[in-house]
Amino acid sequence: MIESLFVLSPTGKVIIEKHWHELIPRRVVDYFNEQVSKAMTEGEDVTREDVLPIIASPKYQLINVYRDGLTYLSPVTKEVDPMMVFEFLHRIPDILQEYFGQVSETVIKENFVTVYQLLEEMMDDGFPLTTEPNSLKEIVPAPNILNKVVTTLGATTSVSTRKMPHGMSNLPWRKAGVKYNSNEIFFDIVEEIDAIVDSTGKAVSCEAHGTIQTNSRLSGMPDLTLSFVNPRLVDDCSFHQSVRFNKWESDKVLSFVPPDGHFRLMSYRVNLPSQQNLPIQVKPSINIGANGAKFDITVSLRSTDGKPVENVVLTLPLHKSTTTLTAQCNVGQYMFDPVGKVLRWDVGKIVPRERAPVISGSFGFGSASSDAAANAGYNIGVEFLINSHSLSGLKVDVLKLFNESYKPYKGVRTMTKAGRYQVRA
Amino acid sequence: MYNVDAYLKSLTSNAVKLSKKVQDGIVENTRDLRFENQAHFLDTNEDKMRQIRKNLDSKYEKEKLDGLKRLIAMISKGRDVSEFFPDVVKNVASNSLEVRKLVYIYILRYAEQEQDLALLSVNTFQKDLSDKNQLIRAMALRVMSGIRVPVISPIVMLGIKKCVTDLSPYVRKIAAHAIPKCYQLDPAQKDALVDIISTMLGDNSTFTIGGVLMAFNQVCPDRLDLIHPQYRKLCKMLVDMDEWGQITAMDLLLRYSRTQFLNPIGKTTAQTTTRTKKEKSVVKSFYSDDDSDVSHHSSDSESDSSEEENNSVDPDLAYLLKCALPLLQSRNSQVVLSVAKLYMHLAPAEDSYKIGRPLVRLLRTHREIQYVVLNNIVAIASQRPYVFDQFYQHFFVRSTDPVFIRNLKLDILTLIATESNITFILRELQEYVKSSNKGFVTQAIEAIGHCASNIPEMAESCLGGLLKLSYSKSDSVAAQSVVAIRRLLQQRPGDCVFMITQLTKALDEITEPLARANIFWLVGQYSNQLQTIAPDVLRKAAKSFTTESESSKLQILTLGGKLVALEGTTSKTVSLLLQYVLNMARYDLDYGVRDRARFLRALVYGKQKVAETTVDQDSDENDHENGQQESDSTEQDAQDGEGEFEYSEKELNLSDHIKAILLSEKAAPVQENPSHGREQYKVGSMSLVLNRIVAGYEALPDWPKVQPDPSVRRLAATMEAPGYMNDRTGFGSDSAYAKSRQGQDSSVSGGQERYDGQAGPYRGADTLDKFLESSDDETSSDEEDGSEEETSDEEETSEEGEEETSEEETGSGEEDDDDEDEDDEEDASSSEEEAILPPKRANGRRG
Repeated sequence: MIESLFVLSPTGKVIIEKHWHELIPRRVVDYFNEQVSKAMTEGEDVTREDVLPIIASPKYQLINVYRDGLTYLSPVTKEVDPMMVFEFLHRIPDILQEYFGQVSETVIKENFVTVYQLLEEMMDDGFPLTTEPNSLKEIVPAPNILNKVVTTLGATTSVSTRKMPHGMSNLPWRKAGVKYNSNEIFFDIVEEIDAIVDSTGKAVSCEAHGTIQTNSRLSGMPDLTLSFVNPRLVDDCSFHQSVRFNKWESDKVLSFVPPDGHFRLMSYRVNLPSQQNLPIQVKPSINIGANGAKFDITVSLRSTDGKPVENVVLTLPLHKSTTTLTAQCNVGQYMFDPVGKVLRWDVGKIVPRERAPVISGSFGFGSASSDAAANAGYNIGVEFLINSHSLSGLKVDVLKLFNESYKPYKGVRTMTKAGRYQVRA
Repeated sequence: MYNVDAYLKSLTSNAVKLSKKVQDGIVENTRDLRFENQAHFLDTNEDKMRQIRKNLDSKYEKEKLDGLKRLIAMISKGRDVSEFFPDVVKNVASNSLEVRKLVYIYILRYAEQEQDLALLSVNTFQKDLSDKNQLIRAMALRVMSGIRVPVISPIVMLGIKKCVTDLSPYVRKIAAHAIPKCYQLDPAQKDALVDIISTMLGDNSTFTIGGVLMAFNQVCPDRLDLIHPQYRKLCKMLVDMDEWGQITAMDLLLRYSRTQFLNPIGKTTAQTTTRTKKEKSVVKSFYSDDDSDVSHHSSDSESDSSEEENNSVDPDLAYLLKCALPLLQSRNSQVVLSVAKLYMHLAPAEDSYKIGRPLVRLLRTHREIQYVVLNNIVAIASQRPYVFDQFYQHFFVRSTDPVFIRNLKLDILTLIATESNITFILRELQEYVKSSNKGFVTQAIEAIGHCASNIPEMAESCLGGLLKLSYSKSDSVAAQSVVAIRRLLQQRPGDCVFMITQLTKALDEITEPLARANIFWLVGQYSNQLQTIAPDVLRKAAKSFTTESESSKLQILTLGGKLVALEGTTSKTVSLLLQYVLNMARYDLDYGVRDRARFLRALVYGKQKVAETTVDQDSDENDHENGQQESDSTEQDAQDGEGEFEYSEKELNLSDHIKAILLSEKAAPVQENPSHGREQYKVGSMSLVLNRIVAGYEALPDWPKVQPDPSVRRLAATMEAPGYMNDRTGFGSDSAYAKSRQGQDSSVSGGQERYDGQAGPYRGADTLDKFLESSDDETSSDEEDGSEEETSDEEETSEEGEEETSEEETGSGEEDDDDEDEDDEEDASSSEEEAILPPKRANGRRG
């Protein structure tokens, strides 16, 4: 049972307080804040992300989610499946995002009445009730200009005093009576590469995770069937609630009635061939001396089907004792953050068959440098993006529409990104 | 012409009027239109407070809304605004829905404090229960049951009874949700509520059933007999419920199954895994604390009971497992984990590999969810490591992982290490040693040690790796490596000579006190195998004695004592060396060292000085190197106790027993994995994550020893489900689903049928009918029957139930060792058959 929720600002102040069961006094928040600051001062380089998601106190288990600077704290007194609580707590910002476009302290404050209404609908006496954005939008209208005009005018002319959507849809995830002038549906296939690459350029672990983000703007109750050219590539997947599991099991097609608006249709994992070529190669060399180190990092393209790689950014966290850094790069810009001790190299776009971007330079340890600095390992975080390229080669074959007579406009985009991509130096 | 002019004129004037009206409306409301910025309500000074009451009494809705918004703002600022209760409650019957919703929020917050005033609102709610809008009916019941005023429990009860038979599944769901609330208000109502639940269990709407099961779990979790007739239906509906309902349902079905079926957890695999565990537990049960003992009992008893049973899985249980399997692909991580829970606690061990991949998939999500998944993987892997051993790469640590994730990943890596993946894991672990986070380095080195002791075949290469690390420039790495080596050597005395020789060679380079102390202890402990080098180590140590750290000094003293004890005072060199060291220690700054020296001198040399030998327990624990292992020190304590005992009772000379005292076999330390003990908790529970029992935790019931009567499930629902329960216009009505599934078989466009239940707004109803007629007579006729004579549906389900069993029974025979894919396909086809069959029968009967 999820009894209460506190949404805390980055400074630990309560923004939203909601009790679904009995009241839990606010001092629990003070206790929580104490525990967080204690945890953060205790260990070496402990950040807010390192604070345990479940903090046990004598009376409560403080289940907390930290996301985008905000803390969603739910103290529970009794045994409960913690995963369910986390899943629910994460739904809250997801839905706020859906409603307001972004989630921050200001946004919540600006819309706090709507937020309270949403929280009221999402949970009933500690048990999740309505968490589908489409159903929620029928009960709690999203704050857009149209809705606002309708309600304010409606209120003055007092025509539709008890206006309430009657036709709740028979599918919890889809609104009834959706109508568009032009019917469109877009699929974004985004694949992220998670990899750990060792200093010789060999991948220690490497896998691709894809998601199909869908934006559906279709009228009525369309029933879609999406099939792939090569569905066998998909290794393990999870679906939006609307997808019929058995259909995928038997025919490897996605058969579903889409929710209205944005949603994640499917996430999947791709089995990469054991010697899959990564699109980009980062070759670091760091020679550490007593008081500093010389480094030299080269980025080159490997297999991108001739497509350029964009938004390439390399980040190299340095040892805490690092004080100075000088570097030169032939492409892009670099920045050294002397507080966070991070070197960030914004490479930008790399076009095939152009000269490879290189950064080289040296950094020095401060006077208090220890042996640890000299022995520390370095990890380079890599970000990049390749448009209209899919690492796995997954391709959409056909989209069929049933139950409605119009012909929708269909769009498919693919994109490959670096996910958790790390190169060890 | 004139007419037209006049007409035009009036038209324009009308238009002007209208536009003026609209304009007025807009102007009046511009403040509201100021795009949704509700933040100004949060500004609460006293002036504005006074304004609130006025606002609430206003006849304009807008002002009321303002007042209410301000109140809610106060609530979220933590101020007590209960004083406004009378003003707010007046507005409960407001015509504006928006006003009402806010009033509800306020009432729910303060009703408990202002019980009498809250009663004023009840009348309105009662009236609303008959509103024609389902959302208003639902909301009324929700708020009414939510205000915790015990007096109204009979009214709530009436409300529930009314809504339970509502045509809208949404309202029925809310009614189900109200049941536990009513139960809390007045536990005396339990019997009546249980009756309601038992009726509602017959509900065939997938939308409602989740709420009903929740109410069941809350109010009467022990009345599993109510589940019997619904069991198969619930299994079947599982896939179509909403995600939260799936979680509740699986919880319930897990408990149900544990009491109704015999233990199917297979012999073969379970035995092999528990056997290795048993070997360990023999060692452990000697030295570990009670806690781990308990867990071993439990695992033993589980394997015992599994030995009693045969391998066959009850067809009903198999059906549940089959129905739950597709949910592994849910996007809700708790649903996935719940399926894992079912498989861990209900399925034969050889089936548990199915949960590995989906659980690993969850590692891609939010940090907090990873945390819970990893904890559960630790628990699962410690019982069935083979579920995860092929996924070892997913547990490699990234430098960006939070601390708690790293540690869990290390635990898992050591648990799932096998001969085939150990080389990769070891290489990876050695990589972590480079991390700048000391705690993590220590953990990584310990993990290498764990791997070595888990897989004896790999111990040598692990030792090699550790040895290399012990030369590391980083002191802490070196120290940790030596400690890990020491632990390993204690488990594998065979390797000692070579390794210790290697270590002593490095002694000159190793500066870290902890590492040196450990080496001295090792040399002393195994000195009988190291007769050539041990005295030399002592010689070197004596030379550097003054510069050593306290812990090393203590160990050097012990080393000397052991050598003398071994060779007797005959070997002059050793004896001299010891005397030298003792003399040095006599004037040491540290009292522990002085104490130890005095003790040893008395022990080795002096009957006459026995009186001086007061045993300092503290320092003696140091003997065992800083109390790293609890079991070590307890063992040591026991020994001390023995020594003292003999001395005081029989006036024996201790030095006669010097060998027994100094050179006793030290038990190998138990490698305590910090996550040890988790496996005794239910998968997915909070207790598992925290590794302790959390209030309200209920352990799974034990498997029954004797098979309970399986025919109870075969008896189909005896009561007729009222028509409203089978309505097809409701949310995601399962019957519609079933049909769409059926249709999918024959043609892709079959999915259409599914939404036809909803009358009205959708086009294509015509085409649909045509389609139904042309493609599948069976379904279409059934569809019509269903809507016309709804009661017949209940018969259908009951028939279906019987049909299923026979299907299931024949199916289960073939099911065992087939390829998974094939299996699933078979299942799919058989379930389709099931779906098709019953209508046929039902039709036949009706005809």
